[in-house]
Amino acid sequence: MERISEDNLFEFATFDEKESEHIAAPRYSYWKSVWRTFFKSKVTVFLSVFVIVLVAFALIQPLQSGYSPTVAPNINNADMKYLPPSAEHIFGTDNIGNEVWDVVWAGARNSIIVSFVSTAIIMVVGILVGAIWGFSKKMDKWMIEVYNVVANVPYLLLAMVLSYVLGAGLGTLIFVMTCIDWIYVAYFIRTQVMIIRDREYNMASKCLGTKTFTMIVKNILPYLVSVIVTYISREIPGLISYEVFLSYLGLGLGTNYASLGRTISQYKSFMTGYPHLFWIPVLVLAAIAISLYVVGQKLADATDPRTHR
Amino acid sequence: MKKGYILKRLLRSLISILVIMLVVFILVYTLIPRDNIFFEDATYRKLGGKPDEKTDYVYNTWARLGYLDYVKINDYCLEKYEAGSEEMKKAVLPDSQETANFVALYESKGYTVEYMKVSGQAYAYKDIPVIQRLATWFGNLIQIDHVNRVQDPNNPDLERKIYFGTTPTGGWAIIGSGTYHKYLLYTDSHFPFIHQNFITLNMGNSYPTYQGLEALSVMFSPQGTEVKRDVTFETGETASSAINFGTLTYKENLDRMDKKKFVDHYANYTTFKDQASMVGTSFTMGIFAMLLAYGIGLPVGMAMARNKDGVIDKLGMLFIIFITSVPSLAYIYIFRYLGTTIFGLPSIFTTFGPSDIRSWILPIISLALPSISSLMLWIRRYVVDQSNSDYVKFAKAKGLSRKEIFRRHIFKNASIPIVHGIPSSLAACITGAIITEAIYSVGGMGKMLPNAINQYNNVMIVALTFLFSTISVVSVLLGDIILTKVDPRISLTEKAGRS
Repeated sequence: MERISEDNLFEFATFDEKESEHIAAPRYSYWKSVWRTFFKSKVTVFLSVFVIVLVAFALIQPLQSGYSPTVAPNINNADMKYLPPSAEHIFGTDNIGNEVWDVVWAGARNSIIVSFVSTAIIMVVGILVGAIWGFSKKMDKWMIEVYNVVANVPYLLLAMVLSYVLGAGLGTLIFVMTCIDWIYVAYFIRTQVMIIRDREYNMASKCLGTKTFTMIVKNILPYLVSVIVTYISREIPGLISYEVFLSYLGLGLGTNYASLGRTISQYKSFMTGYPHLFWIPVLVLAAIAISLYVVGQKLADATDPRTHR
Repeated sequence: MKKGYILKRLLRSLISILVIMLVVFILVYTLIPRDNIFFEDATYRKLGGKPDEKTDYVYNTWARLGYLDYVKINDYCLEKYEAGSEEMKKAVLPDSQETANFVALYESKGYTVEYMKVSGQAYAYKDIPVIQRLATWFGNLIQIDHVNRVQDPNNPDLERKIYFGTTPTGGWAIIGSGTYHKYLLYTDSHFPFIHQNFITLNMGNSYPTYQGLEALSVMFSPQGTEVKRDVTFETGETASSAINFGTLTYKENLDRMDKKKFVDHYANYTTFKDQASMVGTSFTMGIFAMLLAYGIGLPVGMAMARNKDGVIDKLGMLFIIFITSVPSLAYIYIFRYLGTTIFGLPSIFTTFGPSDIRSWILPIISLALPSISSLMLWIRRYVVDQSNSDYVKFAKAKGLSRKEIFRRHIFKNASIPIVHGIPSSLAACITGAIITEAIYSVGGMGKMLPNAINQYNNVMIVALTFLFSTISVVSVLLGDIILTKVDPRISLTEKAGRS
């Protein structure tokens, strides 16, 4: 009797193929994890809001103020010149009676537009070329020489000649910035692709019969995302710096465009007499660049799958 | 490493340089309007009221710079008639038979014929294609001095020989006659003590700025005021002069003063000056900045890695973030402000000049900042990576001290990628630092390219590009070779590598 009852306690389980494939771990979604990691830190959230407000303000304020370096409405009004920062004139006024507040934001706007658009173009072209370059060994031999040439053409010369031929302006500057920098991105991506391509897990994946396309999308891209975001977070402040540098030398945007670089170069003679004129653009520039960089770095950390817990 | 690899790579580098130069030639000589070169030319401005002279000057300048071939009716008729003769005066007139022949001849050769505005005299020109200009440029690049180099119709008795002797300042020398340089090889008390003039590089004469100077000598000649001392010339004449005897070259027309000083036709010279050349200034600044960067960046980066997530690490990261994100223009001004207000250092290089050490401190620190930050970042990364590797765990398990593991194992491996970058950093010293030199008004190489571009000094642009790209391509190769010497596991040839 007892034996029979013991037998009754057990029953045969049916083999369920679907069930056996199930992994008893929480579902992993890459992008959800990215955002979760990113928003975990209060400082990062605060900084991102700060950056968004800063960029939005820089984009909108000049439209509202209508500042243009070609008009100086207060040039003959001595009472409007060299005013210190106050409630009425937040950043004070400069040597020709312009509101420094307007000058700085108009310059910041152009810097931000140029750097964002250029970064987008550079990254798209660079990643596409770099991915193909990294996968094709035949192409590598030739592309290395192309890299040698493009990386060695003096960018200052190119900047000047192109602004000569195309006429100075935002479009020209974006073209100047992109037409050399893409090769650095391509070279960088090529190296990354080459490193990941031959990793053990990809070899294994290949052996198990994964298609190349699946491998690129599932195995390689998630790894590259964090690398690319890291690169972007350096590239945007880098290009702002580059625009400032070119304008400082008088090779960037023409005199018809507001520019932080030219503003700094124009105001540098007031450094001792009216220090606020010189230091305000420098510090605004530093604030924009540094906050963009830090937020970018945080985003890059969040996109690295290894930080996902 | 195989010798064939280096040879092949040198050859490919050479082709790369050629292509770079072609791109630069196209940019400079076809895309920039050729009228622009006169913007900075004082002679051109003076000729405003004389259209014929102006046209002649413009075309002569273009011809000298290699833009085009230029022929005047005057030159054409001089082959037939005496200068200043009556036939000559008639022949150059626009309705003469000679002019008709001239026009027919040069139009058949593909020249464009035009007439002067006032006198109506004919002239012809033909553009020289960029490829041909590039070939000419490379053809003239390397000049080898030999006894038949000077061909002076006014001095047919010029001796042609090479002999041993001494310079007036007492150094040994190989002296040439009939050569362009008088002293082909000589010793003196100036660095690098042995100088040679057998092989010189010729990159054309600078125009419109630094007129008449060779492009290379603009970069390499000393600057500042002349250093005079009492010298005895070969004629026995003694005078206070800054002459550098080693630089004597052939001069066709000697004046009275030359005849007093020199026994032969070698009377062109450059002088000693009290400041280093542009290259010298940039190089001195660059070398010290580099030493500073390695001296601070490496130890601090390693300290950061050893105290990962500690106070030093956090502070270091703050510094790195600041330097990488803030535009150099902004942080150089900020550091300069701190240096001048706290330490009382001069804000501009020229306040005390290059002989005072205080002038150098701030520019060198400013120049070193980005290298310090990137060295810190990378050495930290490498050391952290190496610390987690199996061989370090093994060494720990075997009982090696922390210090020993670090010094003999981690540092050795972590420094390999750092060593790779040394030749490139050295090369960067020569090209100069544009922003740093501009902010501190240092007379170095940094301003050369932007100035040459702004002033349309095309000769200089081409010379600088050639110099910089050659140095950069060679330094990358050197870095790779050093890499294989430091780490024998690395091979540059494709077969031995994994990928």
